[in-house]
Amino acid sequence: MLLHLLSRGEMYGYEILQEASRRSVNAFNLKEGTLYPALHQLEKKSLIKSAWRTAENGRERKYYSLTAEGKKTAVAYEKQWQHLTGAMAAILESK
Amino acid sequence: MGATDELINGVVTCSRIPSVKRRQEIQRELRAHMEDFAATARGAGHQEDEIETLLRSHFGDPEEVAEEFAWVYRHERRRLLLVSYAASTVLVAGSLLLAILAIQSGLAAGFGTSILEMLASRHTVIEGLDVLGCVAVYLAVTSLETLFEGYRFQKAVLLVAGLTAALIVGCAAMSLHTTFLFYGLITGVFLRAVRLFVRKKIVRASVVPICFGCAGLAFGLLRSPISAAGVEATCASWLALGAGYLVMTDIAPRVESTFLNALQRI
Repeated sequence: MLLHLLSRGEMYGYEILQEASRRSVNAFNLKEGTLYPALHQLEKKSLIKSAWRTAENGRERKYYSLTAEGKKTAVAYEKQWQHLTGAMAAILESK
Repeated sequence: MGATDELINGVVTCSRIPSVKRRQEIQRELRAHMEDFAATARGAGHQEDEIETLLRSHFGDPEEVAEEFAWVYRHERRRLLLVSYAASTVLVAGSLLLAILAIQSGLAAGFGTSILEMLASRHTVIEGLDVLGCVAVYLAVTSLETLFEGYRFQKAVLLVAGLTAALIVGCAAMSLHTTFLFYGLITGVFLRAVRLFVRKKIVRASVVPICFGCAGLAFGLLRSPISAAGVEATCASWLALGAGYLVMTDIAPRVESTFLNALQRI
């Protein structure tokens, strides 16, 4: 999910949570603190990279963006997820 | 202390992340997140005390977040522990060997043996390896004990014994000297057991040199032919070893923790 959100462009932590909440119509309710270890883990796996920059509000924020490897992985995960949800939908509709 | 500082400190101090730079960066990132959260909440018309409560409930348990960070940086932490273990083993074993050799040189002079001959002998090399083996096992046991919840000593000893057995097999396969590994395992575990189970310092200070002195006497008598002076010298030498090891049990874990703290500040 984080990779998919970042595939639309670079974002900082708080922005990622806001975007996830907006897109899921508030259904997505992750404890905010746990987002950062997940981002650091993805960065360690070289799927995302980060850089400190000044945000629109004038404050310094750590922006995350996908690496080339991360882009490939995001596409692969998306396909996998679509396949899974398609299969689930087919099972539910078949009754 | 406000909710922001409390949450950030809760995460960073429990995360065991092995780098000051990284810890500071996480602090900065979390602070930025909390600033954004507070700004959004203020915009939505919440009061400061409400914002603190909201921040705590949205952020989650700092210990849980710290555990997740600890998991992410577990490989770096293990590497750091290994470096600190190796450095403190070499430093403590080196210092201990120097002290023991100094005492033994004095004893050699007292027994009329040439000091240079004693220092240049194969026996000194073997003794160096023995000291290294003992310190390595002692520190390995104390370090591994921190990984377990119950029966720490027993589990750590089992693990160290397994690792030593693998090393012995490896060294034997390459026709290398293995006796020091046996010696290190036995003395290291013995010293740790004494340290853990003999509570009174005075008793410990008597038990260790007496046991080493007796071992020296046994080894002296097993060597044949050997003069009475030779037996006395071996006994005295082992007594000096025992005294040195006793001091080591006090110093080695402190040296290791100092190394670890210093490395974590880098």
